[in-house]
Amino acid sequence: MQKSTIQFFLINCLLAIVLISCGSVTKNYTPKKLDKTSIEVPYFSDSKTDYVYKTNISVYGNELSGIFIAKKINDTIHRVVFTTEFGNKLMDFEISETSFKVNSIVSELDRKILINTLKEDFRLLLKNKYLIQEQFENEEYNIYKSADGKHDNYLFLSKKDQKLEKILRSSKTKNKLTITFTLENDIFAKKVVILHQNIKLKIELNYFKSE
Amino acid sequence: MQTKIYLFLFLILSGFSLSAQEQKMTAAEIAQFKEEVNVVAKKIKTLSTDFVQYKHLDFLSKDIETSGKMFFKEPALLSWQYKKPYNYTIVFKNGKILINDEGKKSAVDIGNSKIFARINKLIIGSVSGNMFDDAAFTISYFKLKGQNLAKFIPKDATLKKYIKQIELTFDKEEATVVQVKLLESSEDYTRIVLKNKVINAKIDDSVFSN
Repeated sequence: MQKSTIQFFLINCLLAIVLISCGSVTKNYTPKKLDKTSIEVPYFSDSKTDYVYKTNISVYGNELSGIFIAKKINDTIHRVVFTTEFGNKLMDFEISETSFKVNSIVSELDRKILINTLKEDFRLLLKNKYLIQEQFENEEYNIYKSADGKHDNYLFLSKKDQKLEKILRSSKTKNKLTITFTLENDIFAKKVVILHQNIKLKIELNYFKSE
Repeated sequence: MQTKIYLFLFLILSGFSLSAQEQKMTAAEIAQFKEEVNVVAKKIKTLSTDFVQYKHLDFLSKDIETSGKMFFKEPALLSWQYKKPYNYTIVFKNGKILINDEGKKSAVDIGNSKIFARINKLIIGSVSGNMFDDAAFTISYFKLKGQNLAKFIPKDATLKKYIKQIELTFDKEEATVVQVKLLESSEDYTRIVLKNKVINAKIDDSVFSN
């Protein structure tokens, strides 16, 4: 008798956890009528601009710094390079929504799990068009949901000036990562923070102007 | 036919202009050049200089430019201080790398890392100019207008993965390094220009901490 009570209790707990997590992503947002079906993100989309950022990466308590460089090299592909302050190339990728190529990577960083994580992060960072299926709001933001395979991306546009300030990527039940933008102007982000929720990884990009 | 003549002329002319820029040294010139650099390098107890670093990546429209000050003290203390457009200091000291990144301090032990030890030796050698005896490189020597140029190709396969070639440009009169160029591939390189060099002035030890 006691055993089955405990079992019942456990199942209920599990069910509760599942239900709470299921609802967690959008539970604080109020559904709203869709006012647009797509959103374009201009922050890394100009093929004439060299996007150069001083970068700090914090991964499980280890700090790594360097320079993040991105450039749109044709209609679909961005070249992404990460170097040390000295200029040595640590990694060099070509990335689009459907393709990914490693041009070079130093052996110390050549780990599948790291490359796959960065691939997903950079793909989200550099994506410049999202198709929207649902819309929500909270006090500060209009929130647009864009399905992306097994994941959903939520785009947070400030109600004040309709600028994209945050992207939240989640699975059906859990938040995976957020990208926050601090804007210099309508089309340029002077600061970008990529923060993972399920692993201890934070990537901070601060734009710097060459002399 | 006419095209052929033009092509021929073009080849000859471009050959001339190439040789005018970069002419191979003779054995006697190499010996003299090495001697001059060694004499000056031996006298260097300390060195401080301003530097401008140009990171060239072929796909970018502009080189990434950073600048600051570099300090060297015998036998192997080295401090690179980037001042613009950000503050970042990297010190090589007793088998350690000390970093100060906008006030955030860290230290890395390089005692066991062969590749870092190599790079450290190479940077110090580059700055003082005295690395002609390094058996790790195949070296070739060239004359330029008012300058000499030494090209170092790493023999070690691991090092070669990071650096394809190093080029040191020397002022002919002073026999000191004025430019360091680290080539990662034929298209991508880092070029560091050294200027306002001061030799053997007193440098405070605090420069070599973070």
